[in-house]
This record gives sequence, structure tokens and C-alpha cells, in this order.
Amino acid sequence: MKKLPSCRRFALALLLLSLPALATAQEKKPLRWGTDPTGGAPYIYRDKTGEYTGFEFELAEYLAEKLDRKSVLVEGDWANLPQQLKKPADVENGVDIILNGYELRKDLAAKYGVTRPYYVYRLTLMASKESDTTTWDDLPGKSVGVLGGSAAHRYVKKRYGRTVDLKTNPDVANVMKLVNDRRMDATVQDSPAATYFLSEYGGLKGVGEPVQAGDLPGYYVIYYRKSDVELGKALDGALSAGLRDGTFKKIYSQKKYDLWNADQEALLPTLDKPWPPENLPAEESPWPDLIEELLLSAGMTVFLAVTSFPLAMAIGLTVALGRVYGVRLVSIPLGIYVEVIRGTPLLLQLFFLYYVIPEMLLNTERDWFIWLAKEISPLRAGILGLAINYSAYEAENYRAGLLAIPKGQMEAALALGMSRRTAIRRVVVPQAWRIVIPPVTNDFIALFKDTAACSILFVTELTRKYNELFNFNRDLVIELAFLTAGLYLAMSYPLALLARRLERRLAGGKGGHP
Amino acid sequence: MISVTNLTKFHGSQRVLNGVSLTVNRGEVTALVGPSGGGKSTLLRCINGLETFQSGGVEVAGNKLAGGPTHDSRVLQKLRLSVGMVFQQFHLFPHMSVLDNVMSGPLYALKQKRGEAEATARKLLDRVGLKEKADARPANLSGGQQQRVAIARTLAVKPLAVLFDEPTSALDPQMAKEVLAVMRDLAADGQTMIVVTHDMDFAERATVVHLMQAGEIVKSGPPAEILKEHR
Repeated sequence: MKKLPSCRRFALALLLLSLPALATAQEKKPLRWGTDPTGGAPYIYRDKTGEYTGFEFELAEYLAEKLDRKSVLVEGDWANLPQQLKKPADVENGVDIILNGYELRKDLAAKYGVTRPYYVYRLTLMASKESDTTTWDDLPGKSVGVLGGSAAHRYVKKRYGRTVDLKTNPDVANVMKLVNDRRMDATVQDSPAATYFLSEYGGLKGVGEPVQAGDLPGYYVIYYRKSDVELGKALDGALSAGLRDGTFKKIYSQKKYDLWNADQEALLPTLDKPWPPENLPAEESPWPDLIEELLLSAGMTVFLAVTSFPLAMAIGLTVALGRVYGVRLVSIPLGIYVEVIRGTPLLLQLFFLYYVIPEMLLNTERDWFIWLAKEISPLRAGILGLAINYSAYEAENYRAGLLAIPKGQMEAALALGMSRRTAIRRVVVPQAWRIVIPPVTNDFIALFKDTAACSILFVTELTRKYNELFNFNRDLVIELAFLTAGLYLAMSYPLALLARRLERRLAGGKGGHP
Repeated sequence: MISVTNLTKFHGSQRVLNGVSLTVNRGEVTALVGPSGGGKSTLLRCINGLETFQSGGVEVAGNKLAGGPTHDSRVLQKLRLSVGMVFQQFHLFPHMSVLDNVMSGPLYALKQKRGEAEATARKLLDRVGLKEKADARPANLSGGQQQRVAIARTLAVKPLAVLFDEPTSALDPQMAKEVLAVMRDLAADGQTMIVVTHDMDFAERATVVHLMQAGEIVKSGPPAEILKEHR
């Protein structure tokens, strides 16, 4: 049996210090293994002393030693790491292998070399101990957190469709905490993470039996470059040996992991069979899901635009009327409003509405203000923020429009006996409206794209959805980017056409130019 | 029915009206003549409150305006319902049809029902000879036609008096003729009018002619007397 890795390192360091002759050991070829330590316990994490630990960390140390290479940990983003295998190993952040809870998948196995499994996981359903979720069948109608793009994500989506409120989140620990605090109903996680967090958070319980994610058992495997045939063989040899001689059992059985079970025992007989199994179940094309998600979020983009813009127009017209026809006491503050809103970034205004103002309201400790602060949801703040921001531009459009109407129009209306108010409403505004339609339509198209700013408030509109999908589908980055841009264009171009038609029709109606 | 007493108005330090007084009785046609810049149009605009003045007073059918920086808006509105105005540049509402222009006063100032307003409007359009143009847009009419629509629009609120501010100055002679014919027709019907004009043929048929120069009425009297010298 091997010594614990940290001891080994320590011993090695001592040897190197005292015996410079042994320096050749340092020239061992490195085994650069890619992992995402933010994925956390029990795969790889820092213990109380700040040193890395975790069952995959120990596994990597074991493999490096078996291969007589020096283990070098390369940190990366989980979803992005497989791409690293496309580059050479000796570049910055280059890797030889990736080892971080990657399951056996047909699409990855087609591109990369794949080792025998080092662990068999299942999917575990967890909920708060006080929750009424007691079986998998209780999930419909509940909010369920998953790691976006994970096997759990696909499993829940396939089994429950839209009957559950699926929340994707890149941070496992965060989701666990939300469920523990009862701010989310349940979560489905890979069994190793579930086992760890069930012991970590007192408020969590496992629900029902852990399930197999697909047609095959959930195999965690290591991927390497297809060209590294020798490396693949050596890794398979080391993995088989570790499984046979009980090394894995010893690592996995440690109390801090508690990962050894019947599924792992069942791996032993597979060692005599060819690997990888033929006829791996085909991965479903991600596109139907991706397109559906993009279209749904495009719906949110449209919703944001069509709710905020009429509001912006209404505020803008009011402000413009106050500036043009109001007394100084009214027109001067309105002028300041326009300049302040025009002179500060939309993003900042959104932050202000969603974070700063509620904070200020809460600090007043008055019931009504506290109620108001709690009513400011991300969506409401987004709509209001866009409306306020654009109201300043609309106010300027309308002001220009109102000022462009000849003075005689107002005089003729007044001479007929109309009140000033009626004259503005019936004579001046309708004419100003015709003048401002082109710039206002332009602004609508601009606002349409500015809805993307709401993504910082976690409103899942098109841009935020793109960011989210992009994170879990790095190999589709280009396609997704074009698709998203295409969707924006597909929505805004018809608006531009409509604007041009309106412009032409109104010019015709005025009788001046056909 | 209209009386102006000692009206004085300044534009900055320039005196545009200097103690003007005049009276117009029901059914009279009053012509204001004189060189440009004499204050004729300004006087007209003061009478229906489009301009404020510094001192003196205006009274139209019991509604009084006094000198000062503003007028009471309620008095103004009542006054304007009793005295209509026709402008040199017509000022028709371009976003409305001819019919809607004529109906705008009854609908938006008098708050009449649409049916009632439309009946009056069509009658008036007939009277100014533009019955068939009801659905046209102002921009598609000639200047003369536009001015006749403007007259119909003013008459639609049934004002006691109508102020005409150089109604034919922006028109070529042929079109001016059409407009003057309508105005003569009105005068014959006993419509009280004050007309600022350079058209001597029209002025000759007025009840009274006032000659204005440098913000003052320098001469008043029957047309034959005043116009002879003015020519």
C-alpha cells in the first residue's frame, strides 16, 4: 500500500533538500491533470490546513506515481476543460488528462481517448428535512436545482419536462445551501457530492433511492488525447490495478468520503471485458433544447421591451410637456431629470433600482417602504429601469417635436376657444407625434437590444440565456453566438421595416411628400 | 359690443400701440387700414387675448381684459368663444380633414356632440362653397380654399364677432377674390367683423374705417372720407 500523498510529497521534499544527487527525480515527466477545484468536495477541495484533498486528488496522485510521473494540477473551468485536450500539453494550462467527474459520453469518447471507469455514480435526490418531498414522484410542481449541463440536468429535464421548475446553477455548494435554507425545494446531484453534503448540512435529507442517470451505469472516466495511445494504456493498467488491489476501496472508504458501495464492487467483473463498451447510447442532439431555451428567453426579451417602452413613452411625453409648457418650478427640475438620466449608464441605474433603492427603503424601517422594497423584483426593476432610462430620450424627442409645431397652430386652437390643455392634446401633440415617430421607433429598436442589460439582474432574457448555454456548451460557442445574434436581428429588423412604413405613411398623410 | 379703451402696448422699449380706443357695434364691419408696422395686427391680437398689453382695456360682450403680464384663462376662453379670428396664414390643422377642422371648435371648445357639430360644419362648408372637400386634407387645397375653410372653422363656434387679420395677403388675386366674396356675403348677413386689410375694394364697403399709423388711430370715419385721402 502507498503512503498518503501529502506524506510522500513531504518525504520527497526532504530527500531533495538533503540529497542534491537525487535531483534527477525532479525531472520526471509531469502528468498534467485538468480539474475544476471550484466543483468542490468530495472530488477535490482544500482541507482545513489549506492543502488540496478529495478522492479525485488522491486518485490523480496515485496514477502519477503508478506512471512514474510528477502530478501537476491544472485548474480550469469544468465545462471548458475538454477543449484543453485539443491544445498541446506543454502550453500554459495545457493538460495530459482531464479527471473531474466527467461521465462516459459518446460525443466525448468520439473526440478523445477514454479510460476505464474509476467510479460509478448515481443521481441522488435531496430536499430539506422538513420538506414534504418524500419520493421522486413528489417533484412535479417543485423547484429543483441542478448543475447546469450536468447529467442530473438532463435527467430531470427528460423525466419531468416542464412539470418542475428547473433552476440551473453553476455552484453545487450554493444549490445545497439554498435547499438547506428551504429557498429551493430540492436538488438532484451526483451521489458523491450528495453523500458529502448530506453529512455537511444538517438540514438536508436524501429522498428515495439514488437512480442511474441513463441506460448504462454512470461511469466517471478520464479523457486524454486520442493520439496518446501509450498514456491511455498505462492509465487503464493503473486503474485496473488500483481497483483489483484494493487501493481504490481504501481511498473511497475513508470516512471523509464514504464512497465505496456495491456499484464499485460491480466494476471488478467489467475489467475483463473490452472497453469502452460498444454501442454507447447516442447523445441526444442538444439543439432542440438549446433552441427551445433561446426562444423562450427571446420571449422574455420581447416582454421586457413591450412593457418598458410604452412606459418610457408615457413618462417621456409627460416630462416633455412639463418642460415646454410648464412653469419654471416644473420645467427646471424636469430638465435636471433628463440630464441626470441621460448622463448616467443604464447598468448603473438598474443596479440603483434593484440594490440601492431597496436598501435605502429597508433602512427607513417604515412598514410601507419595507413592503415597497420587497415588491422590487428583478423583472420589475428591469422594466422600470429601462422605462426610466428611455423616458429621458423620449422626453427629448417629444420636446423637439412639440417645439417644431408652428406657433400659429396653438394660436388658432386658442382663438377657437379651446383651453390650453385641449389645444395641446388635440392640436399640438398629434402633430408632434407624427414628427417624432421615426426617432421614437429608432429608440424602440435600441431599447430592444438594451434589454440585455437586465441580465445583470438575473432576468433570464436572451443575452443571459446565451451566457448560460455558452458556459455548458463550449463546443457550440460559435453556433450559439450566431444563433443569438440572429434572433436579435430577426426581431429587430421587422421593427425597422415597420418603422420605415409608418414613416412613409405618415409623410403621405401629411400630404407633403408622397 | 367690442370696445377698446386707451390700449397701450410695448415690445420691450418700443411702443407698438399708443392709447388706442375704438368701439364696434353689432352688425358693423370695421376696416383697419394703414401702412405695415402700424399696429393693426397687434391690435387685433390684443382684442382676442393672443397678446397681453401694458395698460388700457378690452371688452368683448361683457368679458374684460386689462393690462398686465397675463390674462385670466377663464375670461380668455369665454371671450374667445364670442370673438373668432381668421389668420393671414390660415393655420388649418394639417392632421385633420377639412370637416374635422371645421368641427374642431364645436367639439373641443363647445363640447358639442359629434352629430350636431357635423351638421353645422357641413352647412358652413356649403356656405363657403367647399361642400365636396369635406374629406380632403388641408394640404391638398389651394390657398383660397384653405382660407375659406378657416373662415368656416371660425364661424362654427358661432362667434358674435370675427377678426380678420389680413385674410387675403397670402393669396394671389384670383384666390383673394373667392375669399372676399365669402366675406362680403358674411357682411351682408350682418356678421360683426373687424378686418385688417390692404384691399381697398373691401374697405370701401365697410361701415367704419380706421387709419392706423405708428400705433395710433390717426383717422376714423366712413370709407369714402378716409380712403380718398389715404389713397
